[in-house]
Amino acid sequence: MAFDLTVKYAGEGGEGVISAGDFTMRAASNLGYEVVTFKSFPAEIKGGYALSQVRMSDEKILSQGDGFDILVAFNGEAYEVNKPLLSKGKVLIWDGPEGGDFEPDLEELEKMGVYTYAVPMSKLAKEDVGAYITKNVIAMAAVFELFGFPMEVLKQEIVKKFSKKGQDVVDLNFKAIEVAQNYIKENIKKIDPYKVPGPLPKKDVIIVEGNEAIALGAAVAGCKVFAAYPITPATTVGNYLSSLILKTGGFVYQSEDEISSMAAIIGASFAGVKAMTATSGPGISLMQELIGLASMTELPTVIVDVQRAGPSTGMPTKHEQADLFAAALGGHGDDQRIVIAPKNVEENFYLTIEAFNLAEKYQLPVLLLTDGSLSLRAEAIPTPDVKKIKENLIERPIVKKEDVKPEDLDHLFRYAITESGISPMFAPGVSPKPYTATGLEHAENSRPRTTPNERTVMMDKRFRKIAHVEEENPHLVEWDLGDLKEGEKADIAVVAWGLTASIAQEAVKRLREKGYKIAALYPKLLYPVPKNALEKLATMADKILVPEASYLGHFARFMKMFTNIPQEKIVQFNIYRGEPFIPKEIEEKILELLGEKVNA
Amino acid sequence: MEYIRLQEKLPPKEYRSDIEPTWCPGCGDFGVVTALTKAFSEERLDPTAITMTSGIGCSSRLPLWMNAFGIHTAHGRALPAAVGIRLAKPEVPTIVTAGDGDIFSIGMEHFPHTARKNFDITLVVMDNRMYALTKNQTSPTSRHGYKGSLNPYGNIEDPFNVIKFAIASGATFVAQSYSGNPKHLADTIQAAVEHKGFAFVNVLSPCPTFNKVDTFKYYKGRLIDINKELGHDPSDMKAALELASHVLDADYPELEDAEPFKGKRPIGIFYKVEKETFEERIAKLKEKYAPPSGEPDWDEILSQYKP
Repeated sequence: MAFDLTVKYAGEGGEGVISAGDFTMRAASNLGYEVVTFKSFPAEIKGGYALSQVRMSDEKILSQGDGFDILVAFNGEAYEVNKPLLSKGKVLIWDGPEGGDFEPDLEELEKMGVYTYAVPMSKLAKEDVGAYITKNVIAMAAVFELFGFPMEVLKQEIVKKFSKKGQDVVDLNFKAIEVAQNYIKENIKKIDPYKVPGPLPKKDVIIVEGNEAIALGAAVAGCKVFAAYPITPATTVGNYLSSLILKTGGFVYQSEDEISSMAAIIGASFAGVKAMTATSGPGISLMQELIGLASMTELPTVIVDVQRAGPSTGMPTKHEQADLFAAALGGHGDDQRIVIAPKNVEENFYLTIEAFNLAEKYQLPVLLLTDGSLSLRAEAIPTPDVKKIKENLIERPIVKKEDVKPEDLDHLFRYAITESGISPMFAPGVSPKPYTATGLEHAENSRPRTTPNERTVMMDKRFRKIAHVEEENPHLVEWDLGDLKEGEKADIAVVAWGLTASIAQEAVKRLREKGYKIAALYPKLLYPVPKNALEKLATMADKILVPEASYLGHFARFMKMFTNIPQEKIVQFNIYRGEPFIPKEIEEKILELLGEKVNA
Repeated sequence: MEYIRLQEKLPPKEYRSDIEPTWCPGCGDFGVVTALTKAFSEERLDPTAITMTSGIGCSSRLPLWMNAFGIHTAHGRALPAAVGIRLAKPEVPTIVTAGDGDIFSIGMEHFPHTARKNFDITLVVMDNRMYALTKNQTSPTSRHGYKGSLNPYGNIEDPFNVIKFAIASGATFVAQSYSGNPKHLADTIQAAVEHKGFAFVNVLSPCPTFNKVDTFKYYKGRLIDINKELGHDPSDMKAALELASHVLDADYPELEDAEPFKGKRPIGIFYKVEKETFEERIAKLKEKYAPPSGEPDWDEILSQYKP
């Protein structure tokens, strides 16, 4: 059995719950373990319930998991919220027996088989360390001491993080560690079975959060203009990119609103450089008209939508995947866009690069759909081979003055009708023939036109570009068949995208271990809908479960709309509570569906 | 950040495309096209490097009539699209042509920000004091009492003083001209293109089809050159703001004799100041942070993310 441990810190926002999780995650990664985090906090700066969960394993981790093994409750609210999740074999570390604001029902917990440890974090921080701010360090040190993490690793992380702030800050944190260690040695007898087995061989990894991976991907892809307006949970893409992009000769521009961001990246793309914006639901709504302009003028642009729970302001820090309709079909008129979605942090990095490649290849706006949970999720991912990635980047083939003979100029058109629909690309200062990119319908030479024939020809040309995106990019559909061969009969099929795909993947893995035959497909390409792969999958099972964190279930409806899969095969499973799925509920849903089949 | 320029001057007509404007005969905006081609010629700009942007409206079609790169964007979005060009390629001269409705109504949010950041952009607004493409509605610059299709009883708003607003926003070049005075218009637009920084020229440009009030006939004999006739020094911001406060006096009969314009419409350069542009500030940052090779040390960057 693999080592698989999840520690959850829960308390009030601003108490250091989030950084406790970060430190623990870094320490675990330092020991050579795989790590995945899950964080959630309120939209307010201070106060409210916050949690930070770290899952670590000696095997590849697919999702945030079903819950926690060890709960560190900073206050009464954190305890109350998590009380229903405490069950046999779990550990509770709580702020007591004195100095805290609550007292758990220890007798009841003991009867349930929950291991409890009272660590007076508030009191120790206040009285023994002399600084309440070190409460989270006491909590972390308690976890390290109790479960066998080398304390040296925590100390290293503290030096890394705080040495800039001065030796006194480092010393204060070290004192908190010592206080916690002494308290535990003197007062607590370990009764639970959890223990970190010890360091593993070090892997060549980088630790990045979801939005950080997007920023890094954009910089590697050669993005030169990033224009954005602050919006939760997308803001941090720009934060991470702002200094980094300067090193590559680019610039992060804070515009006056999302409309301006989109207009600015259109201008930058027209001028010949790779450009991107990042926003969330409300920003996507505002950008729709201009995404249509990018589509009509065939300018490569990358738009990141870090989805949050909508509609309207909704729940800005909460999880949802309900922007797919808006991303794919949110504009007026028939426009051309590509929508892709990563399922984990590693894919955030690689699909950002992919988004630029697709935008350049097809000359259109590409939307990358991620979400708030993924934006905050940290993972240790294999260190990318930047040199190799750069060799495979698609660079814009801008027509240069020196490449065109004067006699050929008359036949050179920016919007030339071609078989693939893809036309020569021009840029000011480089190309020999000026043109005006217009949102008006236009002819090959970019002049406004409204005749029925010219309109039809031009519309067909633009749609030809996206007619074969799936066939031309088979890597944008991920098959997960286990031991099944393509086309072989499965008990059930599963389709999931975005963060939900990583969670479904874990559920599928568990069920396979129990002997079920499951055919799963995790499309990274959401629009144009990868019809062929989906229809092939549909031949393998009688039912296709499509779990989605939205009320309507946008992708399931796309499957009904854009494929020939019989409607009754598609089984929607929708949650819209502002939290991601957990693997267990997808697992149970699949079993429930299989049970129906057995009963029938 | 020098513009791409030609060695030799091109004749002004070389800056026109072969598309005939779709404007009504007698439209004031023709004068702006002529003035722009003259300015481009004088400045030795390269047609394959000039980039124009515009929004939506009669005047916003202008880039299509020019032999220059251009983006005919969505309604109101000419300025932020121009900003994108400035961020990407500062060596490409960037000219925005627009109407009063496009810039001062739907695109209003962009004006003060682009101005105060001092992007090196020339903005030429063709101000006909109403919406023409949608067949006569009041715009933010329409006179009080002007009859549009949505307010046939007359405009109950007062017009917006765009000159005063531009100076207050931090534009580093603010001028007004008139499309019926080709010489003044060409000189003013050339001065605006030459200016390093955000240059705004408001061109009084009559719409002969719908606006029966602000006509060529009306403007005849009612213009006053603030630089030549009143000796205004554009480097004097206080004087500029004072003059700008009276730009719309002539709209009101009770101010017919008021100083300093005495019922006339002022043209000329109100304000001009040299200030570091946004592009120059970005260049400084890049100089500081970007490696001379242009390619950063990715191993070093990635090492910062290692546990």
